[in-house]
Amino acid sequence: MSGCVLFLRAAAVTRACQPLVAFTASRRALRTSPPLRAFAKELFLGKIKKKEVFPFPEVSRDELNEINQFVGPVEKFFTEEVDSRKIDQEGKIPEETLEKLKNLGLFGMQVPEEYGGLGLSNTMYARLGEIISLDASIAVTLAAHQAIGLKGIILAGTEEQKAKYLPKLASGEHIAAFCLTESASGSDAASIRSRATLSEDKKHYVLNGSKVWITNGGAADIFTVFAKTEVANSDGSVKDKITAFIVERDFGGVTSGKPEDKLGIRGSNTCEVHFENTRVPVENVLGEVGNGFKVAVNILNSGRFSMGSAVAGMLKKLIEMTAEYACTRKQFNRNLSEFGLIQEKFALMAQKAYVMESMTYLTAGMLDQPGFPDYSIEAAMVKVFSSEAAWQCVSEALQILGGSGYMRDYPYERMLRDTRILLIFEGTNEILRMFIALTGLQHAGRVLTARINELKRGRVITIMETIGRRLRDSLGRTVDLGLTGELGLVHPSLADSASKLEENVYYFGRTVETLLLRFGKTIVEEQLVMKRVPLRPHRASQP
Amino acid sequence: MSWVRAILLARSLSRGWGGIFGATLTGAPISEVPPQTPQSFHCGAATHNSELSLVPGPPEPQRKPIKALSPYEDLFRQAPGVERDKASFVRTVQNFGQHNVHKRGHVDFIYLALRKMREFGVERDLAVYNLLLDVFPKEVFRPRNIFQHIFVHYPRQQECGIAVLEQMENNGVMPDKETEFLLIQIFGRKSYPMLKFLRMKLWLPRFKNINPFPVPRDLPQDPVDLAKLGLRHMEPDLSAKVTVYQMPLSKDWTGALDPTQPHIVGIQSPNQQAALARHNPARPVFVEGPFSLWLRNKCVYYHILRADLLPPEEREVEEIPEEWNLYYPMQLDLEYARSGWDDYEFDIDEVEEGPVFAMCMAGAHDQATLAKWIQGLQETNPALAQIPVVFRLARSTGELLTSSPGLEEPARPPPPEGQEEEDTLQRQQQGQS
Repeated sequence: MSGCVLFLRAAAVTRACQPLVAFTASRRALRTSPPLRAFAKELFLGKIKKKEVFPFPEVSRDELNEINQFVGPVEKFFTEEVDSRKIDQEGKIPEETLEKLKNLGLFGMQVPEEYGGLGLSNTMYARLGEIISLDASIAVTLAAHQAIGLKGIILAGTEEQKAKYLPKLASGEHIAAFCLTESASGSDAASIRSRATLSEDKKHYVLNGSKVWITNGGAADIFTVFAKTEVANSDGSVKDKITAFIVERDFGGVTSGKPEDKLGIRGSNTCEVHFENTRVPVENVLGEVGNGFKVAVNILNSGRFSMGSAVAGMLKKLIEMTAEYACTRKQFNRNLSEFGLIQEKFALMAQKAYVMESMTYLTAGMLDQPGFPDYSIEAAMVKVFSSEAAWQCVSEALQILGGSGYMRDYPYERMLRDTRILLIFEGTNEILRMFIALTGLQHAGRVLTARINELKRGRVITIMETIGRRLRDSLGRTVDLGLTGELGLVHPSLADSASKLEENVYYFGRTVETLLLRFGKTIVEEQLVMKRVPLRPHRASQP
Repeated sequence: MSWVRAILLARSLSRGWGGIFGATLTGAPISEVPPQTPQSFHCGAATHNSELSLVPGPPEPQRKPIKALSPYEDLFRQAPGVERDKASFVRTVQNFGQHNVHKRGHVDFIYLALRKMREFGVERDLAVYNLLLDVFPKEVFRPRNIFQHIFVHYPRQQECGIAVLEQMENNGVMPDKETEFLLIQIFGRKSYPMLKFLRMKLWLPRFKNINPFPVPRDLPQDPVDLAKLGLRHMEPDLSAKVTVYQMPLSKDWTGALDPTQPHIVGIQSPNQQAALARHNPARPVFVEGPFSLWLRNKCVYYHILRADLLPPEEREVEEIPEEWNLYYPMQLDLEYARSGWDDYEFDIDEVEEGPVFAMCMAGAHDQATLAKWIQGLQETNPALAQIPVVFRLARSTGELLTSSPGLEEPARPPPPEGQEEEDTLQRQQQGQS
């Protein structure tokens, strides 16, 4: 996926001077069915949907100016006034820093303007994320507050709820937290044990339960809590379903434990939160009763893509610091930067930073399109790639510094510890790999159902076609998906790589078809096979 | 008087003749031998070798069990007071060569020595095996020309060499360079013992750690420890808990355990505990046994507490919640799945067994002891108090861990219904009291 998007972005850069395509114009064209917005899903069928990614989604001039206005002061603040080392040692973010962040408006970046926030689009949010990630603890605190904490209210909240809570949250007066994980349930939603029972007067829910590892748990005033409620089905049976609630600390019964001592991101406040007979008014139910699962899934899927740009920003800073060292340190009468292995490390860091930046902005651009498109696979891909690349690149940067990289005087070991959490939170990488593979396979499976049924039933013509195609594939065929050549969308200098990309995508589609043919729906159990599905295009396109 | 003397004379004569007849008529039916002298015949058979061979046999001090003894048996008989251990064995083997320089009968001697090794406790000792191989005369059995190479040169000796190596292999002894050198000296490089040696060098290291569940070589003598080892060996779940419900009264090493209080050791895993808690009290559980388990050369017996499978109608279908995993779909709604020809699942038996809730090993195999086990189980499984327990004990087989004859219980047919209820009532009362 990374290679794929790498080349796409490279193509876009050369066409940056092209005028912006009017998306609105294309949408107003007559269509009988809504356009299927799915780029990654189509990759699973071996096709590249060129309309989604060519040209690369770009921001308008005005937006660009606007964002640059924001970027300036924020960058200044982070480089001058934030002392990451102190935050890491003490394990908390100082009050003044938080105050200044509130003044800069960073607590409500995605809150719409009418509620007092900045109302930034996804692209601009990603751009600011690049700068905020200079200090990981602050980035995580802000992300827990807005990307998951108050996102629920924005996505699924009613007007009254938004008007009531968002202004204070956007200004930073109240801090939000997202309470889903319990000690016995991480990804398993059915094993949540917190319960919310309706009181007799049907005006309150009484909430009981405890949640673990809640970022901002100690300082937050507004919690988005998920608990099991009894829902009566249409046929009278009663089932337990998850419901989302907005719980304020003032409702009583909300206690938080002591802050956990972590390996990295020590400035952020992570603790257990216990709810004992907390009375939650019925108006505070987010979404509908029993609909909490979908709310949770939407919230989790929407905040993922920004990790890419955050990591890219951090990597750029890292390259800057490390390059300075590599160019000044001399060994064997040569600068370190002249040695091939060191150059390879820098090349790796630069490549990964470039790729994750382009992936993030592509996804952000696609998400910014009007409507509610579902780009959860792309977001998951961004998260998986950027977290793993971050870990690898910070490790390599530390390696370049050698012994001094290992010392606590330098920031590298702190960054290494901070980046380790990226592989774990917001959905562990293994889980997301399963997600990418399964969602893509499901999409491909539906489309291929007809053909596979025919094959299984043994229609001779289909079998002959398939055998013919397989023979041709094994002999090596040239694949043309429209990226190269006369009417190609890619600049001729990249024709080579683009044709390789086309081939890879085509063969990926064939592999997916073979997998579905063999396993069908039992592929859910074959995790070792599925693990390779998101990995294959990535590996195939690396040199 | 003379009549008596004549008979006595006749007896002594026939004794002598009978011995020789016995020697020459090996395999002849016993009726040919004069029936008045059965004992003398046996006596003769015992000493016939010594009467026939040139080497005079040793005096026979006491009656031996009826077995054909080999000629060198006496060499291994130690003087009273001398312990049978490695030193005496080594001395015996080294003394063999002193009898005759040409080492006559070395094949028989080596076979006998191999049989005697276990008594002397040296069957795992590599040096002793090398010493035994040293008994072979060197350089005699090596083939010298092509005809000797083609035909198996000195087949009996090669078989004997192979027998030595075979015993090494059976006891898990790895041969070393000295063995290799000895074999080359004795048999040459292209002989069958050398071939076997090479195969041992190849395979024994590969098979050494091949057992994923090895039983330790030195089994504990204490029956409680042995029971714990056996139960842990059987139970696949590593989080299972072993509980000693009752220790035997006498702890000194007389070997005989007190028959009134045998040991009871039980094992149960948390999954089994949960399954028992979920068990429907209307259905009975059965105590079945004893089943035998062999640990190296020791046999222990265990009982199990199990229930029958629910009939298909009553089995609860596992519900797959629709909204299960927050991150990825647990089920794809496609119509096709893995075909039948692609099924690599293990297909040993289609028979499903009912759930087993616990296992135990006890010193006695009677209902009273097992009832104590059930009582002990009730502490951790309170649900057991409500469930009827049926004892289905088979006739205990010959070998018991405890050697006291008082524990040989007659077969227990499944007790009649009234007694069952009595048992359950008793148990409930005991549980509640």
